[in-house]
Amino acid sequence: MIRYYLLVMGIFLAFGLIPKSHRLMNALAAGNGMLHLVMSCVALSMLDLPERLGETLYLDHLNLYVELITSLGFTAAAFYARGYTDSLMEAGELDPRNLKTFYLAFNLLLVTATVALFSDNLALFWIFAELTTVCAAMLVAILSARENIDAALKYVFIVSGAMLFAFLGLIFLFTLSEQALGKGTLNWTELAVHASEFSPALLLASFTFMFIGFGAKAGVAPFHTWLPDAYARAPSVSAILSGLMQNLGIYGIIRMYSLLRESNVAPQASSILLAAGVFSIALASFSMFQQRNLKRLIAFSSVEHMGLLLIGIGIGTPLALFWALFYMLVHVLVKETLLFSAGILHRQYRSNMRENMWDVFKLQPRAAWGLILGSIAIVGMPPFPLFPAKFFILLESAAVSPYLTLALLLMLILAAASFANFLLKAFSKVTVEEEKDRHTIRTHVEAGRAELKTAAEKADHDEIRLPNKYVVRSGMRVPAIFMLALAFALGVYFPDSLRDLLDAIILELGYV
Amino acid sequence: MNTSFLLFALLNPLFALLAAPLYMALIRKIKAYAQGRKGPRLFQVYYDLKKLMKKETVYSPTSSWVMRFTPYLNLSTLLVCSLFVPLVFVPEPAGGLGNIIVFLYLLALERFFTALGGLDAGSAFGGMGSSRSMSLAAVIEPTMVISFAALAFVLKSLNLHEMFALTAGKILPISPTLVLVSISLFIILIVETGRLPVDNPATHLELTMINEAMILEQAGKNLALLELAHALKQLLLMGILINTILPVGLSTEIDAGKIAVSTLLFLVKAGLLAVIIGLFESSLAKMRLFRLPAFYVMAFFFSAITILIEVFA
Amino acid sequence: MIDPTFLEGIIKILFVFVLISAGLIISTRNLSSVLTAYTIQSFLLAAVSSLLYMIDGKNQLLLLAVLTLASKVILIPYFISRIEQKIKIGRDLHFAYLEPTPSLLLSIGLIILSYTFLSGVFKGLPLSKLFFFGAVIGLSLTLMGMLVVFSRKRVITKALGYLSMENGVLMFGLFVTELPFIIEVLIIIDLIILVILTTIMAVGMDSSIEEYRQKFRKLQIWTGGESQ
Repeated sequence: MIRYYLLVMGIFLAFGLIPKSHRLMNALAAGNGMLHLVMSCVALSMLDLPERLGETLYLDHLNLYVELITSLGFTAAAFYARGYTDSLMEAGELDPRNLKTFYLAFNLLLVTATVALFSDNLALFWIFAELTTVCAAMLVAILSARENIDAALKYVFIVSGAMLFAFLGLIFLFTLSEQALGKGTLNWTELAVHASEFSPALLLASFTFMFIGFGAKAGVAPFHTWLPDAYARAPSVSAILSGLMQNLGIYGIIRMYSLLRESNVAPQASSILLAAGVFSIALASFSMFQQRNLKRLIAFSSVEHMGLLLIGIGIGTPLALFWALFYMLVHVLVKETLLFSAGILHRQYRSNMRENMWDVFKLQPRAAWGLILGSIAIVGMPPFPLFPAKFFILLESAAVSPYLTLALLLMLILAAASFANFLLKAFSKVTVEEEKDRHTIRTHVEAGRAELKTAAEKADHDEIRLPNKYVVRSGMRVPAIFMLALAFALGVYFPDSLRDLLDAIILELGYV
Repeated sequence: MNTSFLLFALLNPLFALLAAPLYMALIRKIKAYAQGRKGPRLFQVYYDLKKLMKKETVYSPTSSWVMRFTPYLNLSTLLVCSLFVPLVFVPEPAGGLGNIIVFLYLLALERFFTALGGLDAGSAFGGMGSSRSMSLAAVIEPTMVISFAALAFVLKSLNLHEMFALTAGKILPISPTLVLVSISLFIILIVETGRLPVDNPATHLELTMINEAMILEQAGKNLALLELAHALKQLLLMGILINTILPVGLSTEIDAGKIAVSTLLFLVKAGLLAVIIGLFESSLAKMRLFRLPAFYVMAFFFSAITILIEVFA
Repeated sequence: MIDPTFLEGIIKILFVFVLISAGLIISTRNLSSVLTAYTIQSFLLAAVSSLLYMIDGKNQLLLLAVLTLASKVILIPYFISRIEQKIKIGRDLHFAYLEPTPSLLLSIGLIILSYTFLSGVFKGLPLSKLFFFGAVIGLSLTLMGMLVVFSRKRVITKALGYLSMENGVLMFGLFVTELPFIIEVLIIIDLIILVILTTIMAVGMDSSIEEYRQKFRKLQIWTGGESQ
C-alpha cells in the first residue's frame, strides 16, 4: 500500500519538476499540502480507526493527528514561501536555478514525513525519518551562503549520528521481541501488546538509545546544538519545516514511552524524560536572555517548548498527555506566526540582529504586531491556547514533585522575560529627525535613553538614511494572520471534535 | 637450586655474551645491504670491543663515582637478566629468578643508571640525552607492563621459565592472542634498543641522539662494557620475542644433543629476526621527537586492547 | 569443515585490528591515512561477516559482506580520494577539543564503558562470549566514531567518523541478531554520506583556500562583516 502511495507521490513530484514558473511550482507545493490535509481529515472522520491498509500502512488516531498538524503547517509555509523566495531571489541570495531543488525538497519532505508517520514498522519509520533529515538539510542549505551549508551539515551530522544510536535501540527491541515471542518483530502494534514480557534492563537500554535518536531530531538538550544555527541561518521557510520535523521526533518518543508504560521500567524511563525536559528548559531559558538575534531567540524558545513537551509526556498521566498533544498543535501554529513575522523583518532589515531593527512600527507594523502577539502567545498568556496547556502540564508536574513545578515556573518566567526584553529593546528604536544647519539629522533613539550620540559623533557619522520599506506580498501576510487567528480561536473555544480526537489517542495508546 | 638451573646459569649467560655482538653486526650489515653498501664484517663488533678494551679511559674532572660505576652495573644487571630468558634450554624454575616483574625492574634499573651516567659527566649533550630518554621511557613503561601482563595471562604464569616451558617445542603459537602480543613485543624491542623509527643508532649528530648521547662521554673499557650490555639487552628481548612466536626446537630437557640443537636453532631464528629488524629499520624514517609519545600511546592502545580481548572474550 | 575454534581465533585477531583502525581514525593527522584506516576497517568488517557466514551459514551475512565490500571498500573511498585530489586537502591538523593522545586513552575508557554497560544489559540473553565481545566492539566503534565527529573540525574527517559509526552499528547488529531491514538501512546511510560528500565537492570546503577565505572574513576585507 505504501508502494502505491509512493508511486502516486513520485508522479506528482515529477510533475512538479516540469513547470518553470515560480507561481505554478508554489501552487503545486501548496496543493500537495492541502491534499494531505484533506486526506487526513477525511480519514479521521470516515475511517474506523485504527485501520491497517495493506501490510505496512497503519493509521490510527495519533499519527493522523500528527499528520494533520504537519500538513497544516506545511500548507501555510507553502503560501508564505512564494513571497519569501521571490524576495530572496530579488535580493540575489537565492539562485533561481535552485528553485526547482527547493520545491522538490519541500514536497519530498512532506511525502517522507507522511510515510514515516504511517508506517507500523519501526525500521521503515527510521529510514523515512532519516530521509526527512536529508530533505530538511537540503532546505536549510538552499541559500548559497557558506554559513547555511555549515548549519545544514551540523544538522545532518548531529541528527543522523543520534539516529544511528536509535538504530542500536531498534536492534535491542528486535532482540527482545525475538526472545519473548520467538520471531522478531519491529511493528509498533505487536511490540505494544507484548511489552510487559520483555526483559526490563534491555527494554530500558533500548528506550535510552531511541530517546537519544528521537530527542536529537526533536531538538532536546543536550542534542539541540543544531537548532539555533538551523533556525538562525536558514530562511524562515526552512526553519518552519525543521520545526515540523521536530514533531516527528516527539511522535517517536510518545510511541516509545507508551510501549514502556506497562513494564516495570516505566519509572526510570519517566525520570529520563523529566530530566531531559528540565535540562532543555533550563538551558534554553538561560540562553534566551542574552540573545540579540531574533531567530536564535525563537530557536531557543523551541528547545524550551520541546522540553516542556517531554515533561508532559514523562509525567505519564492521561491528563498530562492530553495537554501535551494539544500543545503540539498550538505550538506549531504560534511558532509559525513568529517565524513568518521574523522572516518579514529579516527581509526588511537584511538582518536578524536586534541592533539593526529601527522604526519597526513605521516600516512593518503588521509584522511587528504579529511578533508581539506571537510572543505573548508563546510565553503562555491567556487567551492564547498555550496557557491552558502549560497550566495543566505544570499542575500535573506538581504530582511528581512540587519543587519541579516551582523550578519550571521560574524558568518559564525567565523565558517570558527574555522575549519581553528583546521586543522592548528592538521595537523601541525610533529615528528622530532634527533640523540643523539646513540638514535633517536623523538619530536613532532607544526607549529610555535620551541621546545616543554625542555632538562629535553626530558630526562624524554618516547620515542615516531611511531604509526602503519592504513591500510585503499578501502571500506572506495571510498565513501569519491565519495561524494567529486559529491559535486565538483554539484558545477561546476548545472544539469537541478535537477533544474526542485527543481522548481517542490516549485510549489507543493504552493510558486508561 | 637444582642442577638443571645450575647448568642453565653456566651456559645461558655465556652463550648470550658470546652471541650478542654478532647480531648487532648482522643488523648493521643488513641495513648496509639495503643501502647498497657491503657493510661491516660479521665479527666486526668483537674486534671493536677488543680495540676498546685496550684504549685508555678518560674521566671528566667533574664526574663522580656514578660514571665509573655505571658500566659495571649495566653489564652485571644484564647478565642477571640473562638468567631470566631461556635461550639454550628451559630449566626448572628456581625461586624468583625468571619472574617477569623482576625482569622489568632490572631493565629499569639499568636504564636509570645509564641516564645518571649521562648526567654525570656534566656535558650538555649527556643531560639532553638523559632527559629525553627518561621522558620517553615514562610513556613506554605502561605498554611494557601491559604487554608482559598479556603474555603472563595467556601463558598462565608470571615466571618466564614456566611460560616458555608451556610453549617450548611447539611449531605455532598456542593462541592467536600471542600473535598480537608479539607485535607489542616487537614494538618494545624497537623502543628499548633505540632503533629507527625511535632513535637512529648510527647517528653522529648529537642533537638527534637519545640513547647514544648518554654514553657519549664514556671511553675505553667502560665504553666496551656499555656496548656489550646494550647488545646483550637486545639479544634478551629478541629471545623473549622468539620464544613467544616461534618456539620450535627449544628443549626442556638436559640432553647434550637437544641443547646443541636448541642453541643452533636459536642462532638461526635470531638471525632471521635480526634480518627482519634490519629491513624494518631501513624502511622507516626517524619520527620527530614530540611525535613519539603519540606513537607510544598507539602501542599502548594496541596492547590494552589485546589484554582486554584476552580477559573479556 | 573448518574448525570453529580456529575461526573464532581469527575473528579475535580481526577484532583487535578493527579497534586499531578505529584508533587510527581518531589519532592520525594525515587525511589519506584516515581514509586508508576506514577502508581497512570496512574490509575487516566484510571479512568478519564472511567468517560468520562460514560459522553460521545464513545467506544474509554473505550478502552483507559483499555489499560492504562493494560500497565501503571500493566506492566510497574512491569517491573521497577523488574529492581529495580535486580540492587538495592535505592534513587535518585542527583538533577541536581533543589531541590524539588523550582521545586514544578516552577510547580505552569507552571500550570498558561499553563492556560494563552491555554486560549489565545482556543478562537475559544467551550470547556466546565471542559474540558478546563483538557486540561490545560494535558499540565501542560507534562511540569512537562519535568522538571523531565531535572532536575534529574538517568536514571530511567528520564524514569518515560518521561512516565509522555506521560500521560500528553494523558490527553490533551482526553479532546480536539478524535484522531484516539492515540492507536498506545501509543504503540510506550511504546515501546521506554521498549527499554530504557531493556538497563538499561542490562547495569546495575543507580546502586550504577556505582557510584563506576565513582569514579574510575575519579581517573583514570581504564583506562588511555582518554577523548573522
